[in-house]
Amino acid sequence: MAFWQQLYFGWRAFRSPPLLQDYYQRLGPLFSMPLAEVPLVAVDMEMTGLNPLTDQIISVGLVPIFQQRLQLGDAEHRLVGISGSVGQSAVIHGIVDRHLEQQVLDQQSLLRWILQQTQGKLMIFHHAPLDLAFLSMLAQRTVNHPLQFPVIDTLQIDRHRLLRDRHILPQGSLRLGACRKRYQLPVYAAHNALMDAIACGELFLAQTASIRPTVPISEFLWWP
Amino acid sequence: MDETELLPIRNFLAEIAPFNELSAELLEECCRNLSIGYYSKASVAVPLSSENPLLYIVRSGAFEVRNAEGELLDRLGAGDYFGFPSLMSGESISNKVLILEDGLVYHLSLPLFEKLRAGCRAFDRFFNRAYAKRLRHQESHQHHAEVITANRISSLVVMSPISVDHKTPVSDAAKLMRKNRVSSTLVMDNQKLVGILTDRDLRNRVLAEGLNGDVPVYQAMTAKPVTIDANALVFEAMLQMSQHNIHHLPVLDNGDPVGMVTSTDIIRSQSSQPILLIGEIERQQDVDSLIHVSKQIPILLQNLISADARAEEIGRILTSVTDALTRRLIQLHQALLGEPPVAFCWLAFGSQGRQDQMACSDQDNGLLLTHEPNAVENAYFDKLTHAVCAGLNDCGYVFCPGDIMAQNPMWRMSLEQWQQKFSDWVNAPEPKALMHASIFFDMRCVFGPENLFAALQDNVLADTRDNDIFLAALTGNALSETPPLGFFRQFVLERDGSEEKGIDLKHRGSVLINDIARVYALSAGLKEVNTAKRIRVLIAKGILNRKDGLNLADALEFIAHMRLANQGRQYENREQLSNYLKPEELSSLMRHQLRDAFKVVHDAQSALKLKFMRSF
Repeated sequence: MAFWQQLYFGWRAFRSPPLLQDYYQRLGPLFSMPLAEVPLVAVDMEMTGLNPLTDQIISVGLVPIFQQRLQLGDAEHRLVGISGSVGQSAVIHGIVDRHLEQQVLDQQSLLRWILQQTQGKLMIFHHAPLDLAFLSMLAQRTVNHPLQFPVIDTLQIDRHRLLRDRHILPQGSLRLGACRKRYQLPVYAAHNALMDAIACGELFLAQTASIRPTVPISEFLWWP
Repeated sequence: MDETELLPIRNFLAEIAPFNELSAELLEECCRNLSIGYYSKASVAVPLSSENPLLYIVRSGAFEVRNAEGELLDRLGAGDYFGFPSLMSGESISNKVLILEDGLVYHLSLPLFEKLRAGCRAFDRFFNRAYAKRLRHQESHQHHAEVITANRISSLVVMSPISVDHKTPVSDAAKLMRKNRVSSTLVMDNQKLVGILTDRDLRNRVLAEGLNGDVPVYQAMTAKPVTIDANALVFEAMLQMSQHNIHHLPVLDNGDPVGMVTSTDIIRSQSSQPILLIGEIERQQDVDSLIHVSKQIPILLQNLISADARAEEIGRILTSVTDALTRRLIQLHQALLGEPPVAFCWLAFGSQGRQDQMACSDQDNGLLLTHEPNAVENAYFDKLTHAVCAGLNDCGYVFCPGDIMAQNPMWRMSLEQWQQKFSDWVNAPEPKALMHASIFFDMRCVFGPENLFAALQDNVLADTRDNDIFLAALTGNALSETPPLGFFRQFVLERDGSEEKGIDLKHRGSVLINDIARVYALSAGLKEVNTAKRIRVLIAKGILNRKDGLNLADALEFIAHMRLANQGRQYENREQLSNYLKPEELSSLMRHQLRDAFKVVHDAQSALKLKFMRSF
């Protein structure tokens, strides 16, 4: 990580509320670690829609990756209580209002739970900007401060690869399923936050499988 | 987490053996505790750690297992495993797993693996068997045993046998029979079976002759009775009875009399289809109706397959039908042509000789005559053999493409000529002649005087026994084909790593085991020609060690069973019957078992080579 980036990150950590400050401090040392050793966690979230201002997170799935292996034993999946109905979004994620009656988390404890689960680990998303925008909005609402830190985005990794090879990128070629197909990963026919987090984690393993394990993880970081 | 969350992983595991045997709870727990890795071709080999042994379940990609010497042991695709030997033995890993194509692999930890084995017998058994490279399928064996004992002679013999000493007065013997309400008794002399005494003997040889009850039993008994082994099938006893026109058969177990079966016992026990069919064959009065009856053979085969009979027994049953057809054809044509001018044996070779015929067998036969026929006599046998071979062809046993048939004058010889022929093969074993000749070493007499046939067989076995040069040549012949390595995706994998689209279960499986058993049997001068029986005798005589012998017998049965099941499927789909199996027809469990069976055949070939080709 470049010096100015470190500086920027330190400054941001310093200015954050205590909850986030702690989180940022545990995150900092990870950026200089080699690929094979850094603790990672693949995350996927389902939302009621695509607008962070009006829509809400309804489920979160995450699976830790340790020494380049997905650990299903430590995977987590939580449904989140929302105000109002899931509405039309049920068509995509399959979660209907009935499921949320036994909700585990409310919106207030969601942030704390996510930070707890991912502390000391770098997050991996497929198409990070959307999930991060929702997370940041969640933080804004909960602790009155936005959330901003670098993550790994498997979509960006593939976009870079394809563009470097001078591919034109047809519509849909960077969707999770399409990316997985390029690495001969099996088709997982489920729209479930946990299964998608696993799918995303596997994709990252595939993307980095032929890369030297000593390469620093910073090579793969995506900055918001 | 609830049970639907890991559905894609769960569904995958639920389709592959032995995970398909796990209870829903165990499967769920298994899914929830996997770890997942991805292996890239760029890193060449999967890093295996002896300290942290894992079961590796291939989810995608392609891998190759090679031993320390670099020899290809297996090629693995989706649904295959590696790593389990060290998981089970705790020993360090000596094999290498090379990455042929990038792939996703699920890992199962040792504690979880142990838990699944403890929690599911089928799961445990699968890996035990895979580990020990053993095929013995305990459950299916037990299942078979139940089905089959009902068809065995031993199931009809319940009481301890009634027997009398040969010097006992017949009146005492009759009282004993009355007391036990039986129509016959065994007659013993010094612990040895010397005859049987039946109601009919008492009538014909005592009462009708005006003798009184003081006559000793040996004067009235039927001496040297035809006997049957306790392990024989019920229908084989029936065959014996109808062939010799008798109604009582002493039952022997390891040569000791253990009881008696009567035709009434058998009729009461069951009237199953093969017996009816053979009875019908024996009743036919002309060739055309015989051909008509033979149309039932494919239906009989189909019934036997669907009744899940053991392949070995199906082979014996079908061969008995062929034998009966052959005999009846000979009898009918003899009636037309008149008595033969010279006594002869009708010899069956190849699969009919070994009693392992299945669908679409061709005929391999020959004629053994007491002496060389003159021109007139030869004309008789020319007519007879042409008629019988044509009859067999019409009954569905097509003419031998290699022309090994009694109608070919080449294979119609006197005892002396046959002996010379065999002696030529044995003493000057040219590879090409041997390939041809291996058919002849599996010979059996289907019709004619047994002692004539025995003279030939004794002579041949005396020639082959411990004949190192001949046995080495025969071994070389037995090694000319190898079993395929296993299956890889939709292909059959060859030992050199190349791929075929299907597998010839006969020529790459059954035939190889027949070849192996034949070499051992001839080396020891065994009269037995049925491969399964040959193996049993070889084990009993200590020539094959018990474990290897049982493995080989299991492999034989399993491959033959696959052949039959495959033909049953082809028959149902109205396809041309063949010995050709497509890998996509196989379930995951079948794939693993067939792979193990081929491994056993491969090992047996290596052992054979070591034993008989050392000095060459």
